[in-house]
Amino acid sequence: MPAAVDAPEETLLTSAATSFSQQSTKVKDLFSIPPPLKKLFDKVPVLVYSPNPLPQRTPKSARIPSLYVFSTAKDAAAGRPSFNPTCLKWQVSLDGCGIGRGEETDAQLQTFLNIAGVDHRLISSNNHASPTGVLPFLLPTVHASASFQDSILPIPSNKLVKFATEHGAKVQESPSMRYEAYQSLLDHRIRNAWLYNLYLERENFDAVAYKLYVLPTSTNPFVRASISYDLRIAAEAELLKHAPIIDIDDLYSEADKAFEALSVLLGKDTWFFGGEKPALFDASVFAYTQLLLDESLGWKEEKLCRALRRRDNLVQHRQRLLVKYFGG
Amino acid sequence: MALELHVWGPAFGLPSVDAHCLAAIAYLQHAVPRGKWRLIASSNPALSPTNELPALRHGKDWIGGFRNIFHYLAQCSAGEWVLDAGLSEQAAADCIAFSSFVESHGQPLLDLSLYVSTQNYTAITRPVYNTIQSFPLPYLTPPTIRAAAKERTAYLGLSSLDIDSDDSVPKDDKSIIPESLRKPRATVSNVLASTPETAARIRLDALATNFFEPLQLLRGKKRFFVSNDQFTSLDCLALGFLSLMLLPELLQPWLAKTMTSKFPDLCAFVEKNKSACFGEVELQDAFANEAAEKRTNERDLLPWQAPARGSPLTVGNAFFTSMADNIPIIGQLRRNDRMRQFSNKSADETTAWRRLTMVGSIVGAVGLFIGFMFHQGFITLPPTHEEEEKRRGLDDFGEAGAALAALASHMDSEANFQRMQEQRMRDPIVEVDVEVDPLKA
Repeated sequence: MPAAVDAPEETLLTSAATSFSQQSTKVKDLFSIPPPLKKLFDKVPVLVYSPNPLPQRTPKSARIPSLYVFSTAKDAAAGRPSFNPTCLKWQVSLDGCGIGRGEETDAQLQTFLNIAGVDHRLISSNNHASPTGVLPFLLPTVHASASFQDSILPIPSNKLVKFATEHGAKVQESPSMRYEAYQSLLDHRIRNAWLYNLYLERENFDAVAYKLYVLPTSTNPFVRASISYDLRIAAEAELLKHAPIIDIDDLYSEADKAFEALSVLLGKDTWFFGGEKPALFDASVFAYTQLLLDESLGWKEEKLCRALRRRDNLVQHRQRLLVKYFGG
Repeated sequence: MALELHVWGPAFGLPSVDAHCLAAIAYLQHAVPRGKWRLIASSNPALSPTNELPALRHGKDWIGGFRNIFHYLAQCSAGEWVLDAGLSEQAAADCIAFSSFVESHGQPLLDLSLYVSTQNYTAITRPVYNTIQSFPLPYLTPPTIRAAAKERTAYLGLSSLDIDSDDSVPKDDKSIIPESLRKPRATVSNVLASTPETAARIRLDALATNFFEPLQLLRGKKRFFVSNDQFTSLDCLALGFLSLMLLPELLQPWLAKTMTSKFPDLCAFVEKNKSACFGEVELQDAFANEAAEKRTNERDLLPWQAPARGSPLTVGNAFFTSMADNIPIIGQLRRNDRMRQFSNKSADETTAWRRLTMVGSIVGAVGLFIGFMFHQGFITLPPTHEEEEKRRGLDDFGEAGAALAALASHMDSEANFQRMQEQRMRDPIVEVDVEVDPLKA
């Protein structure tokens, strides 16, 4: 008589179940809406409006990735070099330096690679536009097949190499043990001198940085004064992080030595580390040399520029890259 | 005139607790003949014009900072006391590049290991300053250095090592199981997260390896870093940084562990050159007075000289100076002043003009702000005007006012009448007829 045996267990189970359900309903009751309110809410249906269309002037999702850099609108359209070293570095890299053309196997990839080589759009921007607060960043193309989140997220500069590799580009990693050391020359010695030279050297700030970073942001003199003050204070704070005092002679002499070391490293080669084509490191060097040697920027205090001009092979290296990617 | 090298005091069996000071000591030890220089553990950065130690004193001249010191030594000895002379072009370039590398990549590691990590800082590093500075100063110096270290390493995102200022509140557990009945779950991440150092272990290891690897590759089988027979300024710097990474016995020795396990060659370099350069350093060596000096001279490699015993006045002065530097606005102004003095740019006409325009714009801004406040009605003048207006009443409105006034007075009189009636209603006059019957009376 299986039914008879089963019966008490069943009742036990059901009673347990009911007591449990009673408890859970008790708990639920605490959080549920009182019936009169519920009735009221039922009478007011929730209406979900369709999302607003983007404003007319929003850039249409482009067929090619857009690189947002510090630049003027005119220069960006013409593909001229950006005036910010970091932006310039990635601009050059995307122009085909570090990111060479890989095996072009599928159509999507091919589109990207054509772009990585030559065709990305440059868009003049400022750092308020960037999700991370820093320029440059790359807004990839929107593919119909890709999911919404994947395709639309902007890529900050430190992920650009990864992005390029994922899309099949070959990034040359220099195997040299000297790579890191000489990179630190650029990232610290030369950058510090550059910061001083551009922001804290009063004449240069008025002649160069003010025109490039401050004038386009606002027409209000008060806002301009406040922005230039902020820029200078930020540069000063950055320099004071590593030394208790800003020792100007030391900054310039260290930058001079750094150029000397880079010049020795390049030697008689065409590209750094004996590469056959320019790589990321060449782009990093070019980012500073181009801006320091660019006559059109109108440097007033030329200590840093003079230190660079004394190194012939660095000047020629800049010339080669300029011809190759910006048509001279 | 003997040169005096002022440094932070000794710690961890090394002559100084600061990497640049160690580098400077190593440089002078190799470059300057014995007897021409003295080493003073003054531990007071205010001595130097750049407000940092090491600082070199030559008569009246003060030179601050490691690089400035070795440039100055080359100058004042007419090129004799130079370690980097005669290097090949490539070696000289490497020397420059790797010096920059050691400073820029080594400093964050030392910062993290000695100052940011709470365990190491409270148990090891902070007590060191008690032994090398006189009484009130150890309350101010280490926190200042630590704050700078945190700022320098902020970009690495490893502030979790500092558990003092961890402001993340422990998460509210939503579980209905009471605290006493919960079993701690021994997940892998739980085991790993027992200290912040172990949690960040992978990041820290990667950082350390990125620093040590190029150095080991550069040295290869050579005796020193760039040359087989010449001790260069790069070796000084590397010795300073590497010995501070290897030798201190810390509670969280991740840096030393990575170094000993993966880079034994670098450890060997440190051990060998440390004993050759610094010997065995005891704390009392640095502060030994004249009588004991003979004894220490025999077994000690370094020409220690006891720092001038600070009178209460100088100590107090140093105390208040560093205190003033810590006060937000005043500290900033003082730093600016120091910078201006140092850069030798006297207040010329342009800065005077700039100051004038700044004052002008501040006055203008304050004026605008006050005007705005008035406009918005946050501030009102004392209400004398309004009262006057009230008193004048409706006369201001001309004929209409007169009409209104008539109406108003009419209303007033009506109201008065009403009031009187009410008054009357409230206590009505009771008329009582009293009849007197004279007949009955």
